[in-house]
Amino acid sequence: MAKVMLGESEKWFIIHGIQDDMRNDGRSCEDYRHIEVETGVVSNTHGSSRLRLGSSELLVGVKVELGSPDPKAPNEGLIHFHVDCSPNADPSFQGRGGEDLSANISCILTRIYCNKSSIDLNTLGIIPHKQCWVVHVDVLILECGGNLLDAVSIAVKAALHNTGVPNIQVTDGDEGTQEISLPDDPNDVKFINTVNAPVLVTISKVGSRHVVDASSEEELCCNASLVMGVTKRGRTTGMRKMGGGSLDPESIPEMIETGKNIGRQLHISLDKLLKTEQGMAEDIEKAGYL
Amino acid sequence: FELISDEGYRFDGRKPSELRRVRCNMGVFTQADGSAYIEQGNTKVLAAIYGPHEASNNMRSRVCLDKCFINCEFSQAMFSSAERKKRSRGDRKGKDMSAHIKQTFEAAVRTQLYPRSQIDIYLQVLHSDGSLYCACVNAATLALIDAGIAMKDYVCACSASLTKETSLIDINHVEELAGCAEFSAAIMPKLDQIIYSELNGRIHQDELGQLVDAVTNGCKDIFAVIDRFEVITDNTEIAVSPRSLHS
Amino acid sequence: MLKSKVIMVKTRSGKILKIVREHYLRDDIDNGLFGGKLDQHPELQNDLVSSEHFLIPDTNVVLHQMDVLEHSCIMNVIMLQTVLHEVKHRSSPVYKRIKSLCANPDKKFFVFTNEHCIDTYSARVKGESTNDMNDRLIRIAAKYYDKCLKDRNQTAVLVTNDRANCALAKKEGLDALTIEQYVKNIVGYPELLDKLAKADEAIEVDKSISYPEHLKLSQVQAGVKSGKFFQGKLGISRENYLEGKIITHGEDGKEILIQGRLNLNRAVHEDVVAVEMLPEDQWSNPSGVILDVTVQPGAEITDSEKKKSSGVPTGKVVGIIKRSWRPYCGILESFGSPEMTRHLFTPAEKRIPRIRIETRQAKTLIGQRIVVAIDSWPRFSKYPQGHFVKALGSVGDKDTENEVLLLEHDVAHEPFSQAVLNCLPPSDWSIPKEEFAVREDFRDLPICSVDPPGCTDIDDCLHHKDLGDGTVEVGVHIADVTHFIRPGTPIDNEAATRGTSVYLCDKRIDMVPELLSSNLCSLRDDGDRLAFSCIWIMKPNAEIVSTRFCKSVIRSKSSMTYAQAQMQIDDKTAKDPVTMGLRGLNKLAKILKHDRIEKGALSLSSPEVRFHVDSETHDPIDLQNKELRDTNSMVEEFMLLANCSVAKKIQQEFPECAVLRRHPEPPQSNFDVFLNAAKSRGLELNAATSRDLAVSLDRTEEPKEGIHSYISTLLRILATRCMMQAVYFCSGLESDFRHYGLAAPIYTHFTSPIRRYSDIMVHRLLAASIGADKTFSELLNKTEIQNVCKNLNFRHRMAQYAQRASVGLHTQLFFRSKVVHESGYVIFVRKNAVQVLIPKYGLEGTVFMDRDFEGNTTVNADDLKYIEDKCEITVRGVKLCVFDEVTVQISHDATNVQHQRINLKLVHPKINGISI
Repeated sequence: MAKVMLGESEKWFIIHGIQDDMRNDGRSCEDYRHIEVETGVVSNTHGSSRLRLGSSELLVGVKVELGSPDPKAPNEGLIHFHVDCSPNADPSFQGRGGEDLSANISCILTRIYCNKSSIDLNTLGIIPHKQCWVVHVDVLILECGGNLLDAVSIAVKAALHNTGVPNIQVTDGDEGTQEISLPDDPNDVKFINTVNAPVLVTISKVGSRHVVDASSEEELCCNASLVMGVTKRGRTTGMRKMGGGSLDPESIPEMIETGKNIGRQLHISLDKLLKTEQGMAEDIEKAGYL
Repeated sequence: FELISDEGYRFDGRKPSELRRVRCNMGVFTQADGSAYIEQGNTKVLAAIYGPHEASNNMRSRVCLDKCFINCEFSQAMFSSAERKKRSRGDRKGKDMSAHIKQTFEAAVRTQLYPRSQIDIYLQVLHSDGSLYCACVNAATLALIDAGIAMKDYVCACSASLTKETSLIDINHVEELAGCAEFSAAIMPKLDQIIYSELNGRIHQDELGQLVDAVTNGCKDIFAVIDRFEVITDNTEIAVSPRSLHS
Repeated sequence: MLKSKVIMVKTRSGKILKIVREHYLRDDIDNGLFGGKLDQHPELQNDLVSSEHFLIPDTNVVLHQMDVLEHSCIMNVIMLQTVLHEVKHRSSPVYKRIKSLCANPDKKFFVFTNEHCIDTYSARVKGESTNDMNDRLIRIAAKYYDKCLKDRNQTAVLVTNDRANCALAKKEGLDALTIEQYVKNIVGYPELLDKLAKADEAIEVDKSISYPEHLKLSQVQAGVKSGKFFQGKLGISRENYLEGKIITHGEDGKEILIQGRLNLNRAVHEDVVAVEMLPEDQWSNPSGVILDVTVQPGAEITDSEKKKSSGVPTGKVVGIIKRSWRPYCGILESFGSPEMTRHLFTPAEKRIPRIRIETRQAKTLIGQRIVVAIDSWPRFSKYPQGHFVKALGSVGDKDTENEVLLLEHDVAHEPFSQAVLNCLPPSDWSIPKEEFAVREDFRDLPICSVDPPGCTDIDDCLHHKDLGDGTVEVGVHIADVTHFIRPGTPIDNEAATRGTSVYLCDKRIDMVPELLSSNLCSLRDDGDRLAFSCIWIMKPNAEIVSTRFCKSVIRSKSSMTYAQAQMQIDDKTAKDPVTMGLRGLNKLAKILKHDRIEKGALSLSSPEVRFHVDSETHDPIDLQNKELRDTNSMVEEFMLLANCSVAKKIQQEFPECAVLRRHPEPPQSNFDVFLNAAKSRGLELNAATSRDLAVSLDRTEEPKEGIHSYISTLLRILATRCMMQAVYFCSGLESDFRHYGLAAPIYTHFTSPIRRYSDIMVHRLLAASIGADKTFSELLNKTEIQNVCKNLNFRHRMAQYAQRASVGLHTQLFFRSKVVHESGYVIFVRKNAVQVLIPKYGLEGTVFMDRDFEGNTTVNADDLKYIEDKCEITVRGVKLCVFDEVTVQISHDATNVQHQRINLKLVHPKINGISI
């Protein structure tokens, strides 16, 4: 069964361990679990990525479509996020059980991406007021092993990095109409610039210390956490407190500092990996789930 | 658009009696009791099994005293087809497919061995390119084996279509759209029994025999692939099957 | 091995999809070098190639140089899958031709599936366009073949039209030549050079003319969508080849006139074009008067004179959407000296412009009918450019002219291919035993057939038996053609393409090979035959009690002609079962006919004649009008009844995909001229419904003051011309099934499967509905059926035109050595001429009222008075009204070698300057 249940003594065991900077699986408080990222796994999307963080497993697929821009921002494209919790992850996600969680995550993602500094939406505009690219990011959660938000944000950044928007040409037809024509070569794409894309870092307060990348058991022990979006340069794009407990106002700046450092490191490793992957020959077969 | 060229090759280069490349893996997830992943050509399906376990709260009414009941849910990722389609979880097509798969496995799983409990089969389609039902059944079979649930026999499924007196095995999406009749069936190969079959489209009575034979042969081929994989039990990939193409 | 193919597609709703498809690579693909598909030692020699070689053409060579490839000396060609795919997308008529070449085992064309072969596959290189990739794949395949042939000391030659591709290939070490170089250096076949289609550079630049440029297809499509341009098929006027009109697509199709060379802008008759409307002050009128004396008789009466007022919408062609070029028959103009290589070709079809060709054989070709195909029409050339395809024979020679009219009407008349003949059963075929088990045995019924004299393809037999209990059993037995012609076989495909047998005056072009049409399927009286029977139980008043259909075995007791059958019926001493049956049938037929007429069936007439052909010279000796006897009508009635019964049955069983035939009701405006003509002679006709028309036509039979007796027949002839065409259609795609002319609510063709393909389709449907045969997917596919019906309607129309042209040809041959005076009737009065019908010869022609027979204008405007409403014309005081009887002199005029005609000159009434 996927539902994690802890007895009282197990909870205290975890909390005491964390106080001594010793977590159940041997990590320190600021260590992440083993992360595996692979991009370009789903071939009929414009960009995709697969991520494994500990025992959380996600698949992100990005598809781009033509659409009309928001009248308030006629030169910009649009990004839409959608999260789907597969019942593979937890039987309680069957039917409409996972909707609350999906709505929550997609809301947060929208928040951190829809500001000017994350992704330059101007590059996604085609014809002002008429046509623009609409990027649909679909996140599929296959296994929940704790710390979903961080995993989702890393996977989304990797997928967006992998997304190739076709280089279309706009030609002027008669009487002001404009024709959009596709390039002949399907590989003629422009990749989305994810230099400033943020990554979420969740810092959970367990007992009196805070830990990063809480596993599902640890999540049950914590009752307050801070989620922040951090960019490569260490700037914060958004922040939210989650959970039913309370946070000491003096500990918040400390948590933010920790978050920023961790975020920067995450970005460095992720970028290195993405660069290596891009450098590899295109023909290599993706392992995916095999 | 011809389904079979004059030289005898299909649109993707296969001969009419050849399967697509089949690759599979078991034990993909750690949290589920059993899981498997199968790729039939470009149709990729993930299956996860939870159970047998005590019936969950909202299913308590379906508990049987003498056997377990099987709960199945089928869902397709939004990026699985070429055109992005927003699919809600409880839509008709999903429910239809879930019901068929449930029916299939109720015939194959030894349900009497697990009274008063529930077995969940969850299927997630990552990429759909024809023969969805068949890939789902094959994935679920592997996942059930991985979960250690007792079954009467493997369940292998395959699809076939008939055009100009030749039967095509293992049809992909393009061939499905061509409009010929499509016949899918799930078979227990060692017991040689058909536990589910479905025919879409119209064929003449005399042609049915040919189609059924074709599908049976296809299922036996798939069984050979899955069985061979089973022998190599350390979860490495396999990419060869007797009648499919070289890798 | 599995590779994937990725393509980006933009759907109509604006979505951009990335489609991924599997692409398997195989190592067991046959390359044709062993096993006989290609010759071991190809014979064709070429000065530029040192060894025995095979040819690999690229896409452009296939698209533009089909005539070269079809020549008998070009064999041992390797067609690559890549090339075939490209051809299929660019031009389906060329694709059909190349497929039939590949299917012909004698031509040794081998199709190599290079994209799935592991040795010749290559993935797309980044930044490569589709065209470059295809060219590269072709080069890789050529290299592969070179490697395979090295140890046989043979080579594969890549033939291309493109010099750049040629250069690239040579750089990679391949044997590559342009098609020009190759053809110029072939040993032994100099005539091939003429068949080369020219590239786009103009052969001759005319300084006088410069056509505006055609817009690109994308601009044209955008313009049509936005409504700026109109799309339609161009129809050049028969009377003036520099004028034409298009009828725009869509339900409210309006006509746009296009006049003049520049406005026509290189559009050819029947091309689908995009037209831009000219501003209203430039609108003009179609030229109303008949310009050209050589107008074909019997043409549709254009009421262009009606448009007198301000101008009709006029436009100019801005772009060509689809060319409908085909090979044209015609002659070379004797132009300059025969030593020159560039000549002008004049097509037989007057609506096609002259074509420039290059040929060395001009000396032999002058005076011959030749076939030429158009290649292109550059902007700076007054005429389109083309190339010579083949020569047919001397102008005026009967066989050549027959060939010309068959080609011009697109009637397939080549001998049946080996693939088709292979589908036939052996000539000593007899009914297998299993058939007797599944069929009813009607061999002892008094079955007989009644057909025209000399008929060898007997489709239908009848029988009549008195059951003794007040009812009679009547049976119609039709040849069971579908037993021999199975769906999807080459013989079936060929029959579907031909659509119908064509009956020329002296020849019959069969739809199915003669073994079937005249022997195995034909219901002759010399043995057992397979049939498809329709049996009715009727009361003596022709009321049908029950109908049933079944497959049967019959033995016809007697094959009679109409005359013989009539004699049998009239002979009071004959009392054998067949004659008794004939009498019974005759009686019932009369009742059936009466019932039909009551419902409003029309009996119109046309001046049909039959030629007696001299058995030695096969020249026509005499003409004979068709006579209608009782027996003609008897057979016809039962055929109609069978067709109606079958139509009802298949519609009931297959409501979505039954093949039916309907005759739309003509709009009342079609009748205007006709009713007006009748009114001018004091006859009130009513054409509101078919019944009204039939009744009022019958009324004209009664003798009346001042009107001669023939007028009734003339009115029937004119009424025929107001009718619409009857067409085949698929029942699921239309809602109006009625047949106007027969006054039947539902109708189909069932009774002549030997000579009509629609009947074969109906047989298959009927057999499936009675469980005697199985269905197959194409039988039940509505769009497939509709496409086949479209083709059948086209072939039917073409066959009618060809038949009429054949009659015209024979009439000309008949009058070649004669000059005859004969009486005729005026059937139409025009502004400056009258149209005269001569019933004895079934001829129609124009007699001009404003010029003498040399063409000089002899009558000026004051002496000529035309009153349209009264359909009369007065010249120099002599009045001619419609339906007046006149006498004319008929003679043959061979001044225009290509368009020889019959001249009519007025003898009586005498008009100064007009009559002779």
